[in-house]
Amino acid sequence: MTKKKNKVLEDAEYGVDSRYTSKRDKEVDGKALMEARLKRMHNLSKDQIARAKLLQLKFKMEEYISKPVYQDNNFFTEFLTTYIDTIYSKRSNFAKDIDITPILLSKVINNHREPRDEFMMRLMIHSEKTYKNICEFHKKTWFQVYYHEKICDTMSSQDEWRPKVEKHVNVSKLIKAE
Amino acid sequence: MIVIDTTSGKSHQVKIEPVESGDYKNITKRRYFFDWAEEKEWEIYKLRIIDSSDILGLVSFERIPTEWRIHIRLLSVSKENRGSDKKYKHIAGNLITFVSKIAIKEYAELACVSLKPKEIIAQHYIDKYGMNITGMTLSVEIIEIMNLINTYDHD
Repeated sequence: MTKKKNKVLEDAEYGVDSRYTSKRDKEVDGKALMEARLKRMHNLSKDQIARAKLLQLKFKMEEYISKPVYQDNNFFTEFLTTYIDTIYSKRSNFAKDIDITPILLSKVINNHREPRDEFMMRLMIHSEKTYKNICEFHKKTWFQVYYHEKICDTMSSQDEWRPKVEKHVNVSKLIKAE
Repeated sequence: MIVIDTTSGKSHQVKIEPVESGDYKNITKRRYFFDWAEEKEWEIYKLRIIDSSDILGLVSFERIPTEWRIHIRLLSVSKENRGSDKKYKHIAGNLITFVSKIAIKEYAELACVSLKPKEIIAQHYIDKYGMNITGMTLSVEIIEIMNLINTYDHD
């Protein structure tokens, strides 16, 4: 290898200019790449696909926790449903694995019942075991998602609950401003 | 994610975040090899050590949702982190992994991150990051991305 080539390789990480020079360039490259990728995708195992989906779920949960989202979505149950459906073909099997009834699971998933501590702790342990061979997964993630949603919901719906609740609050010992 | 001080071996936690308008006066071509102002219409992220404002590396990219792909347009480390005398290692690896994580978040098992380096340095990316080669395009897909995440991402 020439000295010049050596130097180029050594410096390879200084950067890459990989911008397409034309739209056509981008389309041609994209098409060729897609053909090659589809062949490789066909060779993916069910486990590899499940790993990717669980990784996606983890990143989505982390993103959700990291910022306030004042939307009327049920994030906790949406994430929970994705988690279960990625791993199990039948939700009742997940219920069995965490020793709850399928009816209770269905109520939690459909927002007819709040998950109790016991449910959350079992979910935490189940996720720990599931993610063990995939990537790092913080024990507190499900709790954070659940409480983050509670906080966001409560803060964003103050107009609805505040007038009624405020009637019950009196600060008899008010500290005066200095 | 961490970078490692090549002299002391000490690791430092890093943060990767969007470039802000005030950053452009500091990200000069002299120190970061490209005219980053030209990339303003794309997503540009910077890497810095937590508790330091000094930018160690930059990446700009384009999301191509119709192909479940993110294409890295420009990637660079700062001048003092180039070559064998570099101050910190893992800067480029962290930036590629960061983009790969976005691809996974968007496209799950279909995720792909591509780049098109000059022929002579392509081999380096193939060897170091396990990239696939298709024509002149290099890519990481789900299997390579998982390896990158396990190597570089411990958050």
